[in-house]
Amino acid sequence: MRTISAVLANRSVRASLIAVVAIALIVAPLILPAFTNQTLVRIGVYAVAILGLNIVMGYTGQVNLGQIFFVGLGAYVAAYGVNHDWNILLVFVAACVIPGIVGLFVALAAARLGGLAIAMVTIALPIVGVPLAKRLDEFTGGSQGTSARFTDAPDWSGLYNDQWQFYIVLLVTAAAFLLARNLVRGRYGRSFGVVRENEAVAASMGISPYRTKVLAFTVASIFGGASGFLYLAAVQYTSPETLSFGHSISLVAAMVIGGAGSITGALIGGAYYVFVPQLTNAIDPNLTAISQGAILLAVLFLLPQGLVSLPRVIRRLARRRTAPSTPSGKPPQNSPVHHPTTEAAVREGLETQRGKIDHED
Amino acid sequence: MKIRNKPGGVLGIVAAASIVALSLSGCVRDGAGQGGGGSSTSPGITDTSITLGVTTPLSGPTAGPGTCTVAGLAAYFGAVNAAGGVQFGDGKKRTVDVKSYDDAYDPQKSLSNFQQMVADNVFAVTSGLGTPTNRAFRDAAISQEVPQVLVMTGDPLFSDREESPWQLGFVPIYQNEGAAFGKLLAESGAQHKVAILSQNDDYGKGYVSGFKEAIGGAANVSVVGELTYEATDTSVDAQLTQLAASGADVFFNAMSITPLVISSLQKAQQIGWKPSWFLPSNTSSPTAILQPGGATAYPGIYSVSFSKAPQSPAFAKDADVVKFLADLKQYGNYPDMPAFPHCMWSYMVGATLEEAFKKMTEPNRDSFMTALRDIKGLQAPLMLEGTAVDTTTDGQPAVSSVLVQKYDGRGYTTAEKFG
Repeated sequence: MRTISAVLANRSVRASLIAVVAIALIVAPLILPAFTNQTLVRIGVYAVAILGLNIVMGYTGQVNLGQIFFVGLGAYVAAYGVNHDWNILLVFVAACVIPGIVGLFVALAAARLGGLAIAMVTIALPIVGVPLAKRLDEFTGGSQGTSARFTDAPDWSGLYNDQWQFYIVLLVTAAAFLLARNLVRGRYGRSFGVVRENEAVAASMGISPYRTKVLAFTVASIFGGASGFLYLAAVQYTSPETLSFGHSISLVAAMVIGGAGSITGALIGGAYYVFVPQLTNAIDPNLTAISQGAILLAVLFLLPQGLVSLPRVIRRLARRRTAPSTPSGKPPQNSPVHHPTTEAAVREGLETQRGKIDHED
Repeated sequence: MKIRNKPGGVLGIVAAASIVALSLSGCVRDGAGQGGGGSSTSPGITDTSITLGVTTPLSGPTAGPGTCTVAGLAAYFGAVNAAGGVQFGDGKKRTVDVKSYDDAYDPQKSLSNFQQMVADNVFAVTSGLGTPTNRAFRDAAISQEVPQVLVMTGDPLFSDREESPWQLGFVPIYQNEGAAFGKLLAESGAQHKVAILSQNDDYGKGYVSGFKEAIGGAANVSVVGELTYEATDTSVDAQLTQLAASGADVFFNAMSITPLVISSLQKAQQIGWKPSWFLPSNTSSPTAILQPGGATAYPGIYSVSFSKAPQSPAFAKDADVVKFLADLKQYGNYPDMPAFPHCMWSYMVGATLEEAFKKMTEPNRDSFMTALRDIKGLQAPLMLEGTAVDTTTDGQPAVSSVLVQKYDGRGYTTAEKFG
């Protein structure tokens, strides 16, 4: 195990690994069956939404139960743009910026409230959003929803629609993950972490908890909007049902299952969000609610830190078996959620994070 | 560390990966599953069987009616299969398999289910409940040329042939229902003052526009009050009080929310307003709505229907109803008395599909659609006298004729005239 991580630490090995993954992702849709591509596309859609949620909840520790509102808003903006023949780039920018602005305004008000009050405000978003979407039928198509086709493969590409959609989603998702990774590993990521652990400490270090929360919330909304654009690219239809409150809770569950405060966890969360309904459908379509609940509980009991912690748990078990007396030498490298309550622990957490970053460069 | 960092290792890996990539891209995916046209055999049909798919809410708030849309269909074809199957128009006898998928009323999941069905080789999608969930994969069904027929939505789009070449709705559109009641009222001859309350979306608007069109030329019917509410409202007490003050003797209530209908029935009694009511077919269940609402206090509760009500004493010994309940119990995995009309509707969907199967001359989707669009005057089991399946009119769903029903304290009986 140790050697594997050592190999991974090697820069050139890592670069080539990334190249292999990239090539695999580019070639995969050409050979995979259509249904697999369509499933992967949906995973990308939700991974981006969960990534945004992860930034505000996992990294900054602010409960956000309204992420689906921004996904829905992004989808509606994109649908409006497509149906009015805007340039596709403009559609994408609008689908990110408008939810971002709405998120900014909501956050400016909500971040002044402490703790659970923010959660309350975010609950209100999808609850207000559904009737609004039904009401503003000029823009949204009312309760019957609106279709927008813009992701059919152009003739020159020689691709099937599902392959074309795969590439669109791949492009946006990869960019989103790269940006998010850089964000949370840089200066802002560190301030997110401090605000999550202790706002008083953050303030004493010259980090404004208020501004940090607003920033995290706005970034999350922008990612939500991007996810909404992808939603429309994949589903080509949106309706008030898209932003119903229940889906928001499912997104939070998927984020926790994937691994809060972890970039990879967001991807796993997206896969969970898409695969589990398919899996439970295959088991028995009449028992989907029960079997989904059972899977959720099972994962949380066995892996309370999310699926992303699975390799670490396996490593720990393996180590325990080989050398039961040796205590674990160094703290886990990529611990997604730790809840140190004392100041010292905060500092330690910071140092691990900083160490990680130094290690990167 | 014991790794040797060979120079060129990276290049080597990239080169190897590229070779793999290039050779893989040589394997072009076959186009199987794309398109169902032509005179060949479509996916999902063999010489001995045909597979139908249903995506419908089987969990969540709409699971009740959703479960019914599968149960009735499974019951119908369960009985047919037990008798040996359907004699198709091409001379072969086939059994009918029904595969169901839960979409929890989520459009994104229904599209996912549709894609799964294409991968699972489903011949046609049918019977699923929900406007947004059916709309979500309508475009995909058209481009893949997969029939999406006899679905449970009052949305007229599914019955527009130009827009929806591979679709057909089953249940009457909202306008059909409103118009049937309006016509009855206009023909009554007596003077009526009507108060209208409707849900502020295309559901409510559809009912009201159908109703108003039907009373258009009638001098004896006047609308004295018209208000709306939002689908998310938890109370319509204010609207009821205001409408009660209009002195209307007929209350046209286009409301789709079950608890709201019950509380409206109770509230109007409390404030002493006792008009005759009209309620949409999906919110007029005798057991789930009218009894808890205390509906016997009113001179009349009207709704529309095209199916016999198994819970009504008038139909208790009806041959169709007896067979339907037995099939539902044996093959539909639904032992109780159906609480939702969707159980009966999907049973009729089964009968309509069987009729189309009998007429289709080639085992493909084109032939199926041609056969399906050519059914006229079919009296499917459980249909009320005076209604029939007619798929030949553009712009109309398979069932567009409805009969106004009056509540008799337990179930519904057909109302020949108002009053």
